[in-house]
Amino acid sequence: MPEIKVTPLGAGQDVGRSCILVSIAGKNVMLDCGMHMGYNDDRRFPDFSYITQNGRLTDFLDCVIISHFHLDHCGALPYFSEMVGYDGPIYMTHPTKAICPILLEDYRKITVDKKGETNFFTSQMIKDCMKKVVAVHLHQTVQVDEELEIKAYYAGHVLGAAMFQIKVGCESVVYTGDYNMTPDRHLGAAWIDKCRPDLLISESTYATTIRDSKRCRERDFLKKVHETVERGGKVLIPVFALGRAQELCILLETFWERMNLKAPIYFSTGLTEKANHYYKLFITWTNQKIRKTFVQRNMFEFKHIKAFDRAFADNPGPMVVFATPGMLHAGQSLQIFRKWAGNEKNMVIMPGYCVQGTVGHKILSGQRKLEMEGRQILEVKMQVEYMSFSAHADAKGIMQLIRQAEPRNVLLVHGEAKKMEFLKQKIEQEFHVNCYMPANGETTTIFTNPSIPVDISLGLLKRETAIGLLPDVKKPKLMHGTLIMKDNSFRLVSPEQALKELGLAEHQLRFTCRVHIQDPRKEHETVLRVYNHLKGVLKDYSVQHLPDGSITVESILIQATAHSEDQGTKVLLVSWTYQDEELGSYLTSLLKKGLPQSTS
Amino acid sequence: VCVAGYGPSGGNEILQLLPPPTLQAKETQGLCPERDFKVECGGFSNRPVYSLKCVPDTSLLVTSGPPDSSLQVWQVSAEDSDVIKSVSAIPTENGTGQPWARIATISARAPWVLHGSRLDNVHITEVESRKNVYVAASRSSEELSGLAFLDCNTLLLCCAKGQLCLADVRQPQSPLEAVSVPSAPCGERWCVGVGRGPQGSDSSSQPVACLSSGGHLTLTDVRKTSESLASAKCRVPSPSSGAEFLCVSWAPALEGCLAVSGFDGTVHVYDARSWDSSGREAEPVFVHKGHAFGGWDSGGGPPLVTVHTWHPQKPRTLLSAASDGSLHVWDWVQSCGKC
Repeated sequence: MPEIKVTPLGAGQDVGRSCILVSIAGKNVMLDCGMHMGYNDDRRFPDFSYITQNGRLTDFLDCVIISHFHLDHCGALPYFSEMVGYDGPIYMTHPTKAICPILLEDYRKITVDKKGETNFFTSQMIKDCMKKVVAVHLHQTVQVDEELEIKAYYAGHVLGAAMFQIKVGCESVVYTGDYNMTPDRHLGAAWIDKCRPDLLISESTYATTIRDSKRCRERDFLKKVHETVERGGKVLIPVFALGRAQELCILLETFWERMNLKAPIYFSTGLTEKANHYYKLFITWTNQKIRKTFVQRNMFEFKHIKAFDRAFADNPGPMVVFATPGMLHAGQSLQIFRKWAGNEKNMVIMPGYCVQGTVGHKILSGQRKLEMEGRQILEVKMQVEYMSFSAHADAKGIMQLIRQAEPRNVLLVHGEAKKMEFLKQKIEQEFHVNCYMPANGETTTIFTNPSIPVDISLGLLKRETAIGLLPDVKKPKLMHGTLIMKDNSFRLVSPEQALKELGLAEHQLRFTCRVHIQDPRKEHETVLRVYNHLKGVLKDYSVQHLPDGSITVESILIQATAHSEDQGTKVLLVSWTYQDEELGSYLTSLLKKGLPQSTS
Repeated sequence: VCVAGYGPSGGNEILQLLPPPTLQAKETQGLCPERDFKVECGGFSNRPVYSLKCVPDTSLLVTSGPPDSSLQVWQVSAEDSDVIKSVSAIPTENGTGQPWARIATISARAPWVLHGSRLDNVHITEVESRKNVYVAASRSSEELSGLAFLDCNTLLLCCAKGQLCLADVRQPQSPLEAVSVPSAPCGERWCVGVGRGPQGSDSSSQPVACLSSGGHLTLTDVRKTSESLASAKCRVPSPSSGAEFLCVSWAPALEGCLAVSGFDGTVHVYDARSWDSSGREAEPVFVHKGHAFGGWDSGGGPPLVTVHTWHPQKPRTLLSAASDGSLHVWDWVQSCGKC
């Protein structure tokens, strides 16, 4: 049976290190190549030795696909392509290709320059890696080679995120990456057509969560920001350059406008320019509302949000500042944090996941005395809040996507198997498909049932339709022919044509059976008796008595001869071709029962 | 928090949800790491679930619903799986064709479930062994709208027409003591809410509240049933939407407060300490209107609040569910009303 094999790589089932190997119809594809942000050693990269123990990976993989620019999906790419070795094509969308190197370089700088790591990829490696990238458009079918093709679908989540369909012949797999089924302020919702893949691979990190309503979450956030600003405090929001920052900016801008607030909102300069630039460049990737209003007003050119200058941090009075990087591990956001931490009127709101070891992670865990460089202790008196604004699909979203794509099988990655039994049952019950949840390193085999297209010769089609009743469009029609498999093509032709093409002579098979009948009369009288008997029994068949003394039943021939040694016994020869086997056997058994004793 | 569906065809889910940390902590925190509910475990029920109760000190749930008055017992997951499994069914004699059973649970002497759909088929069954330990002695086939344990020996049964009956578990042979709801207008359906005092206190010292489909609220002391303690009327929309989802409950951590729902998409909170016996219209302390702004329910109408309950520790926090599938967790600020 043809099969599709899926193996998630990398150990652990926490956030990070997305990397899935798929084997489909002889092609090997790697989906995502992420880094685990929580580890500082080899555990942060997926375990590529699964593919091969030594040497470069180019020969083992047909292509690599990256779903979006988050580091837990592309962070290990330079390591994989330059340090382990891969020269084949790497596919991603245009925004991902533009933004990936920026985040990779940013992360590299922090890891190497600040933390002093040695076994890490270099800036040149990032550049060399990106040279291998082939950018794709949404809904564009890309031929990787003669048999393998891929297509990207909109996934929401972040700018440029895509779900990918991988197709070889009639077998296909859809990989979702991270996606979101509800639109937000700056991105639309994921969408896929009824492509009916053999397998749908979906992230399921949030599958057991029922998300609070976005409105409540936003209202809470705005309330806290408002309260802090009203009492004269300062709000620091550390963000990554691209991602949720835009969402929160639009949210604050709208709120400030509505409430007519005067406190200043700042955005780190480098950030605004970059973000604006990319959102303008990839405007088709944002949601409907933004595209529509873009003509009148660029949604990312804010009235109330201004560029930040380092000096502003010392200004008295309330303000809100968006600064990078997102986990307070270095740079401007950390600087500002140090200045404002001692005042309890101030607040820091962490809008995303913080990796262990960062200041962000420490303060979220409740630490209020931090050791900074030079053994200085920083007392954190400012309020620390956390809010997850990340856009992921929950259980409801996963069900929605399955409903849209109609896969034959579903595979969930990045969830704890024990905690997913209920969701698995839910999917199996509602959609009647198999649902798999492999552990990392475990291979799941999915059997597919591909249809093989066969050309049928016109002559055969015409012949088959001539026989019998008119075809019923709803019922499948049974046809007889000969299947010729030659040079990767399949043809169905009539037997005669097949013989002709192959240069073979046709053989006819004929069976003859002898039935002994006790009858002392003359042969022609026996024949008459047999004829009358058969005519009486086989009312639906054509039974004929020919002048030469033989009987035909349809195309079966019956002749009578006298037994050579016993005049009282007659021998009936019943002869039929292979095609008439059923009727022939029936006639023979009928005659073996003997003739009725009636007068002829 | 356990929630369940009540759709007429099968495929109803029972979910055990873990509330976000904000709702678990005793003090009100600001923004918390997570605002989301986690699905701890889930199961599937062929029947619609009209009533769902946890059996205290066990990992069992009991549900009831049409088409008969039998009960279903479920095991909330073991360590290695997150599936709520059906473990047994508690049948009732002559159960088919009966309306669905009301249920109440207690684990004083053993895990017990009190159940019945009419006065003449009220039983207490041991949940694990399914053995009947008590049958109420009554020949009346009055339909029940609610039942409760006032303490480990005393039962309170409320008939749909408004009568309250008391029974003592230790005296199964003595007939039920009926206590009518004083001055109850005819033709209305009634339901009851029993207070849950602080641990160790006698629940039978708390008044019971009865709510009618016409919006009448009466407070009665079960030990002195000749007259009601107080009564009031709450504002109900007309025409009233039927009495299927009427629900009244006392706040466990806020003295004298009770909540009322089931008339429309709102939940009303009243302070009953200011009530007298006049029965006139009372002003609610707070009205939660969130469900009314939700989607549409499966019938295409505006959402109806199906049930509500109070948070056991946080004094002004309630949870309510509605016919559009929404679950709200909300509170109110005392001084300025709605926030």
